[in-house]
Amino acid sequence: MSPELKRAQENMQPGVITSAGFLGEDTRNLADIIEQDEETLQKLGIDIEEASRVLHHLLEEGRKGLGEPITVEGKYQVQVTEARGFLACPFEDGIFRKTNAEVIHLPSGTNFLFSELSLHLFEKHHFLQGIGSPFRIDPQKLKKVLS
Amino acid sequence: MIIPVLLASSAVGAITALLALLISITDKIVNNYGEVSIDINRGKRQLKVKGGAPLLFSLAEVGIYVPSACGGRGSCGACKVKVTSDVGPHLPTELPYLTKEETLENVRLSCQIKLKKDIEIQIPEALFNIKRYRGTVERIRDVTHDIKEVYIRLEEPKEIDFLAGQYVQLMVPPYDKIKEPTERAYSMSSPPSDRNHVELLVRLVPGGIVTTYVHTRMKEGETVTVTGPFGEFHVRETGATMLCVAGGSGMAPFKSIFNDMIEKGKTHREVWYFFGARTKKDLFYLEEMKQLESQWPTFRFIAALSEPQPDDDWKGETGLITQVLEKYLTTQIDRSRPMEGYLCGNPGMLDACIAVMKKFQVPPEKIYFDKFA
Repeated sequence: MSPELKRAQENMQPGVITSAGFLGEDTRNLADIIEQDEETLQKLGIDIEEASRVLHHLLEEGRKGLGEPITVEGKYQVQVTEARGFLACPFEDGIFRKTNAEVIHLPSGTNFLFSELSLHLFEKHHFLQGIGSPFRIDPQKLKKVLS
Repeated sequence: MIIPVLLASSAVGAITALLALLISITDKIVNNYGEVSIDINRGKRQLKVKGGAPLLFSLAEVGIYVPSACGGRGSCGACKVKVTSDVGPHLPTELPYLTKEETLENVRLSCQIKLKKDIEIQIPEALFNIKRYRGTVERIRDVTHDIKEVYIRLEEPKEIDFLAGQYVQLMVPPYDKIKEPTERAYSMSSPPSDRNHVELLVRLVPGGIVTTYVHTRMKEGETVTVTGPFGEFHVRETGATMLCVAGGSGMAPFKSIFNDMIEKGKTHREVWYFFGARTKKDLFYLEEMKQLESQWPTFRFIAALSEPQPDDDWKGETGLITQVLEKYLTTQIDRSRPMEGYLCGNPGMLDACIAVMKKFQVPPEKIYFDKFA
């Protein structure tokens, strides 16, 4: 792995930026996680740029609920909550508000959780987080949400 | 052949052990800052502590608890103190949390400053009254599908003095992958007269460390730690009309405030309490609010649902709480009288309510809130 990736993986350990870290139960190295998830996204026909645009849209619409769940376009229920402070990106290219969006895709009942930081990690670094991380952007769930 | 290999590996082992010993000795010499003194508020308190640790933790060790919503990880920006002696320039980890004015005044994040030499700081006097309490969870009950009411009996010390509206930090132990105790801030919903207990309302935040613990693991009879009281959110002693707005667990400080006002006979004030929820299943304490209305002629509780469901059979107000607030400010509330705003909830809701209140000439300096979730 490159020194940048090695440093990012160190920052992703529990207790460095967040208590739980970003890797969940995943024991693969960061480069493998990113590469394998990129392949999965490609197989599922998910374009990262387009998916990011949809997630940004859901985040902005969800904010209109002022902390309570709100129905968006008749097919999503979105609740945006915010805690005090900021979190640094493990790739060290920015800080993000502790804003979480919990999305329920009503037709499928799929629950999907992401944060401002996890959206940045997805969009800019193609890092969906390790398997078992609470904020992992699971490709299968994402596919359902985008359907 | 085997003997040279064994000798070589023994030599490598010995060199490694020697290097480890040297590093350990160097660390003890280089990082041994000895005893350092902390001067608080120009000589008001003078402390001697072991150097090397972050200021936040050193202060906590001697019983001075600076508020911190992240437990010293440098991610909440709450543990600010003003440093009046030289501790070096601001660190990159501090700057995102400080305004330009704070940076110029050398306000620092106490979790990021390591005590390497004597230091002089200024903190609010109120922090001297903050204590760490050991308590027992006496009762946990669901008040909605995602909010739990946690009633904690204080064991050591046994009594707490606070102003209705203030908050405490609840600490939960390590669990699963969480390796360290974690603290989060919650407003007290019990009145100050109940000095042996604190009651908290904890809404489940997906992925939240403390809320997940409270909702899935906390048991009655369990020992917990709370620290407090903190915060500037409390009722100002004026006769102004109180415009109160909350959503979800933002109910907590208002329950404490209103019960405190009733107990103290301060029911001369006009109070409008707006509470926002999505559906009927997100509403709670309706009976308690009705009871307040019956005891307090100038108290009005207005619940509003943003997305009432067909089977809710809801006859009350609908829409976002900001829309309902605006409607009442336009049609029902006497705006010729002085008004004050009191808010508790999601930061997005606070910003939206502040905008509405400003539009109706509530002075910005008379809009009170603690901006934490």
